[in-house]
Amino acid sequence: MNKNTIIALTFIIVMAFFPLIADSAWLGIGITFLIFACVAFSQDIILGRAGIFNMGHAIFFGIGAYATAILNVQFGFEIIATIPFAIILPVIAAIVLAGPIIHLRGDYLLVATIGFNIIFEQVLKNNPGDITGGPNGIFGIDVVRVFGYELFSDTAIYYIAFGLLLITLLIIRNLDNSRYGRALFYINKDEIAAKSMGINIPYYKLFAFALGAAIAGAAGSVFAIQYSAVSPESFNFMQSVMFFAIVLVGGSASLPGVLIGTFVMFVLPELFTEFNEARYLIFGAAMVLTMVLRPNGVWPASFGNIPKYLKEKVKGAK
Amino acid sequence: MKYVLEIENVSKFFHGLVAIDDLTIRVKPGQIYGIIGPNGAGKTTLFNCVTGIYVPERGSIKYKGENITGMAPHKIAERGILRTFQNIRLFKEMSVAENIMAGTHTKSKQKWYHSIFHTSFYKEDEKIHWKKVEELMEFFGLTKFATTATQDLPYGAQRKVEMARALAADPELLILDEPAAGLNENETIELTEIIRKISQLDIGIMMIEHDMDMVMNLTDYITVINFGKEISQGLPNFVQDDPRVIEAYIGSDDDEDEA
Repeated sequence: MNKNTIIALTFIIVMAFFPLIADSAWLGIGITFLIFACVAFSQDIILGRAGIFNMGHAIFFGIGAYATAILNVQFGFEIIATIPFAIILPVIAAIVLAGPIIHLRGDYLLVATIGFNIIFEQVLKNNPGDITGGPNGIFGIDVVRVFGYELFSDTAIYYIAFGLLLITLLIIRNLDNSRYGRALFYINKDEIAAKSMGINIPYYKLFAFALGAAIAGAAGSVFAIQYSAVSPESFNFMQSVMFFAIVLVGGSASLPGVLIGTFVMFVLPELFTEFNEARYLIFGAAMVLTMVLRPNGVWPASFGNIPKYLKEKVKGAK
Repeated sequence: MKYVLEIENVSKFFHGLVAIDDLTIRVKPGQIYGIIGPNGAGKTTLFNCVTGIYVPERGSIKYKGENITGMAPHKIAERGILRTFQNIRLFKEMSVAENIMAGTHTKSKQKWYHSIFHTSFYKEDEKIHWKKVEELMEFFGLTKFATTATQDLPYGAQRKVEMARALAADPELLILDEPAAGLNENETIELTEIIRKISQLDIGIMMIEHDMDMVMNLTDYITVINFGKEISQGLPNFVQDDPRVIEAYIGSDDDEDEA
């Protein structure tokens, strides 16, 4: 077992038993952590793996949340039935929005995605066709019903979010060991070398966007379920900045890194609420210091994703 | 198939300046074709035209009879033209094995959903290509470095990784841009042997090299270019004694320190 597997297993076991010891306030923080971890991992596919400077990730998270809210509240869909839409609509949005700008160099693409995010927030606030609820958003989202059971307790929602995180981790593990996943790393490390090896760069970058958007959309759906409400502020540009920062502060393409990043950005602020605004001074300073002292993140990724038998052979050769 | 690559009357301009002027080069399968010439002669530009990084303004480039002029680099690589770079372009933070695995990209048949679901097809596909990586690491003597990040390797080993990565794609034309640059004498001898072995697999090889001993010893045919123009071509012995070549080299004072 390698180090990453041990960390992942420990983390999963701790998180699985967390509701047994947590009170309701802590459970709420736990749910938020799980949901934002999923979004951060999905951003890590786009930013950490493919190396695309996507500064509009809250769009996909938001489309997922609004898809569930709108379909449930305005059209009377069961929550379960809205989830496929919360996954597919962000994918379509990712392909339509990122398609025309995918060839842009990092910094130009970053500005374009900021533009998209600002437009997205404005659209939500302006309530087109009376479906997004305007600046106040949408309230009164139903509880989840599965086979006649109503899953409304915090514990139930916690395990829904936990299930999503497990799926996300599984997808990422499978991605990293596949042709598509490796192609993303090659593109990130050296585009010219990657295309000289036959990698169609725009295609794989769009794939990263689509996969990241799908996971973020699913997380958005769970977010809507948790609060039984959605509002535009949860998906504005600042949220995208947070998701971007989590990946870079934690460590690109690093599982523990992204978890630490999510914990620092979303959970620590909840623990220090008595310090009010002062806590943000500390967080700002911490981000600056991390980038200066550890430019690859708190916990940088380690490479060497090769089959076990090859690793054994190397040990023999040495 | 007579020629694996046919470059016909190709010209490339940069902002009106001629980088390549009406070059015609034909490479046979299994042939080692040398491109030599002083610095700035347009050799690397020519390679960039063949691999699709640049699009030539005039002329045509054919690979196994198919016109590939102006095709995107990844499509050219898919067809079987693979290259190495003058200033080594490896995926630095990644391990040697992962770098070589990059070469199998065009060979692998995995679809997008195999990155989410690991089906039995996926497992078979991975197995075949890691096997290929394993064989190439053996061939180049890189097995002990399999898990080492390429940026931590000595220069000579990095050159080998680049070559192994290109070979992993089963190329029919291999383009080597100064493979011996930065290598010591022993490493150069070793590399010469490796290149010869590769050509015996019926892979056409086109190489730029400044190490004249190596070029004369290794290549089957040579084109000499200067200021983008062909000034001579022929067998190594012929080119070596060609007065036009000698003049071009003596006329320029920067070729010696390159080797």
